[in-house]
Amino acid sequence: MFVQDTLLNRLKRGCETMAYPKGAAPALPDRHGGALRVDAARCDAKCGACVTVCPTEAIARPAGKPVALDLGRCIFCAECVTVCPTKAITRTGDHRMAVRRREDLVLGDASKEQVRLAQALDEKLRRLFGRSLRLRQVSAAGCNACEADTNVLGTIGWDLGRFGIQFVASPRHADGLLITGPVSKNMELALKKTYAAVPDPKIVIAVGACAIAGGPFIGHPQHHNGTSALLPVDLYIPGCPPHPLTILDGLLRLLGRLDEPTGIR
Amino acid sequence: MMESSAILLTFTLWVYVAGMAGALLFQRAERLANAVGFGLAALGGACGVVFSVSSLAAGQGMTITPVTLWSGPIPGVRFVVEADALSCFFVLVVSLVGLAISVFSLGYVRTYYGRKNVGVMACVFNALLLVTTLVFIAGNLWMFLIAWELMALLAYGMVSFEHEDRETRQAGVLFFIMSHLDAACVLLGFLVLAQAAGGFSFASFRGIGASLSPQQRDVAFVLFVFGFGIKAGIVPLHIWLPVAHPVAPSNISALMSGVLIKTGIYGLVRVCFEFLGPPPMWWGASLLAVGTVSAVLGVLYALMEHDLKRLLAYHSIENIGIILMGLGASLMFLHTGHAVLASLALIAGLYHTINHATFKALLFLGAGAVLHATHTRNMEEMGGLAKRMRWTALFFLVGAVAISALPPLNGFVSEWLTYQSLLHGFGTTTSLVRLMFPLGGAMLALTGALAAACFVKAFGITFLAQPRSDHARDAHEASLPMLIGQGVLTAACVFLGLFPTVFLKLLDPITLQLTGHQLSQQLTMANGLVLSGVAAQGGTVSTLGIMLMFGCLLPVPLALWAVFARKARTRIAPTWDCGQRALTPHMEYTATGFSKPLRMIFKALFRPRREVQREYDFSPYFATTLRFESHMEEVFLTRIYRPVNYGLLRLSRRLRALQAGSLQAYLIYIFVTLVALLLFAL
Repeated sequence: MFVQDTLLNRLKRGCETMAYPKGAAPALPDRHGGALRVDAARCDAKCGACVTVCPTEAIARPAGKPVALDLGRCIFCAECVTVCPTKAITRTGDHRMAVRRREDLVLGDASKEQVRLAQALDEKLRRLFGRSLRLRQVSAAGCNACEADTNVLGTIGWDLGRFGIQFVASPRHADGLLITGPVSKNMELALKKTYAAVPDPKIVIAVGACAIAGGPFIGHPQHHNGTSALLPVDLYIPGCPPHPLTILDGLLRLLGRLDEPTGIR
Repeated sequence: MMESSAILLTFTLWVYVAGMAGALLFQRAERLANAVGFGLAALGGACGVVFSVSSLAAGQGMTITPVTLWSGPIPGVRFVVEADALSCFFVLVVSLVGLAISVFSLGYVRTYYGRKNVGVMACVFNALLLVTTLVFIAGNLWMFLIAWELMALLAYGMVSFEHEDRETRQAGVLFFIMSHLDAACVLLGFLVLAQAAGGFSFASFRGIGASLSPQQRDVAFVLFVFGFGIKAGIVPLHIWLPVAHPVAPSNISALMSGVLIKTGIYGLVRVCFEFLGPPPMWWGASLLAVGTVSAVLGVLYALMEHDLKRLLAYHSIENIGIILMGLGASLMFLHTGHAVLASLALIAGLYHTINHATFKALLFLGAGAVLHATHTRNMEEMGGLAKRMRWTALFFLVGAVAISALPPLNGFVSEWLTYQSLLHGFGTTTSLVRLMFPLGGAMLALTGALAAACFVKAFGITFLAQPRSDHARDAHEASLPMLIGQGVLTAACVFLGLFPTVFLKLLDPITLQLTGHQLSQQLTMANGLVLSGVAAQGGTVSTLGIMLMFGCLLPVPLALWAVFARKARTRIAPTWDCGQRALTPHMEYTATGFSKPLRMIFKALFRPRREVQREYDFSPYFATTLRFESHMEEVFLTRIYRPVNYGLLRLSRRLRALQAGSLQAYLIYIFVTLVALLLFAL
């Protein structure tokens, strides 16, 4: 019988939920180099190889200043890492990159070599959401990569429910929105209405390069260059798409559920 | 007292006659005919109410002793009327509902001005009230059968009132055929009694069952159940009801569903409790079983309807089932010798009779007002009427709450009494038959829940949300007489719900007459504020208390809101509409969609079939045209009635061989018959 087989199979396989965050975090796959790091001191002032090679114009070179890499726009193709002759841009292999403020994603200046990780919500909101957070997911013209990786968090390996975080079917049941995609003009009204339907107080989480800054669609007339154009964003989770671990880290960080110190490392 | 009652009743009948005559006289002047005809009908109804309430309150067994109305030209044929407590109760039903419907009609029939002869309608309406009253007060078989047959014929006339429609004509014919089947069964049943009694007066029928053989009694019982059952609309003899009631004008539908089908109940009570004598177990058990099946199937079919009036018609079947459950349980208790419980079950059945008459007539009048305003019976084309027809919506809501047996209205009271009698039933006998009581109770509970679901649908789809058609958008509130008519019945529903202990006193003479007990004292506790379930372990309930509790609890959320919610910041945002550009009627729940889960659960019964045809150019997801059809098999029609029908036709085709058209053959028939008769005479 199907039901019996399923139950037996489940019993045999035992608990498959990962030990993280109490235990060690699972390793990122080989192709995923994790967050990037920019050591401006090493940067050759005359070189501009990374600026031209970046497909999403995430790297800028203001005159007289060191290179500035916007991790919010980055799609983690690592072309810049390859072309940089002085190894000023490197991969850290670190999955943690969620931030609370947009400017915390810009790397390059002195003491801003890496992202400045997200602070937890204030005490009042943490009391409200800390142990139970209900999110409504809005795919505002997303390509389904970020959605898929968010979806992974619901599987038994990750089991988002154990943190009291859950995705719900109606914004009227939700404490906040998790938005993916560059926010197309067609989705503008729906997104605004969904936001209005969430009861106060509420939070907004932008997941993926598109939702943060428009990603590869930046500047397109039919898109809004991400969520910030319409709504106040409380948490940015960069990636294209972000690894589930990155998203989970961001959510837990926001709720103050990670023990390690936050901020600049 | 008796004198004044007789005068009042005579006056009532003459008012109806005057209404008939007046309406016919002024038929050229529609407004006058309307005012005279329905005005006099209302007056007659009011007199009937006064007559029956005063007689019942006086508590006499026999209010009017048999009086010969008219001795016909044929020797032995006399028309006798009499009125005992049972008659008075049913006269109350017809008069109360008749009064409300007459007032409603004053406004409603304006829709027929210039199209139909309103005078004739008012005349037939008065005649219907007259003959229905005569059915209830008939004192002998002649009077009863003539009134019974006239009632069927007049009702046929009213069903076919809008005979321009093919559907209406067919419904009329079906009603006609079924009415005559039932008249035939009733006639045969009474002939069995008359043979034993040697007379035709009802007085001579009383207790005649004792002098019949058990087989004769059983045959008579079965004939009566068939005859009166067709009239009452029990499953599977119900097929005419959902066809005929909706096509009649709404005021007539209300009269038919509210009162005319109760003549079947009246007949069953009269015959089973008075004429046929002590009942064997299987009579009560079969009535209980038939009642249970009718109740459940009636409400299940009602759920599938999206024609508002057909839906109400199916609910009549359900409620007749509930009434029969009370009567059946009562007969079973009579057999086992529990006279008090028998009285309780009988009271439950009769109470539900008048309750159903009030709330069903109310709902039909509401449906009439909606039909009048939107010109459609299809619920899928309604919606949003609550804003356009505030009072009608309110009255319909009260009727819906009442029929769903929700406290504190009248449907709850009578179903609660039925539960009480059924729950007590388990201990009255040791045979396996006792299992029927809890089973019946469970089915009654299921029926109540399904009825509530059905009226959530009926009220929600009809009155709430946005209008689904231009008709509904342009709907207007009903005229004042129509609202008053509905208001009268609404008030009756509320009164019967909140003050059952007052009304139960009126039923005392009936139970005294039929079962020898008066229960209103035992059923009443705490100065009439609480209704009790007779036996010590029985339950108690107080609808008044429930109402008061509602009243007392209402300030609690208000106070909580005042204390807490007003402090919070209020933000006004649009209703959540899934992010669509705007809400349109296309997004609304449809009646068909609402009932789909139940259609799937009971698909063995409904046998739903659906067909989807999709035409597309390149991908099935982008269809250019889409055609959706859904059907349900009418099981009773296809599995029972149609085979019988075909069988009859085949048989008649065989018999046609006899009718060869040749003179010689006919002469031979005559000769053979003659010889056979002569031989027989020898």
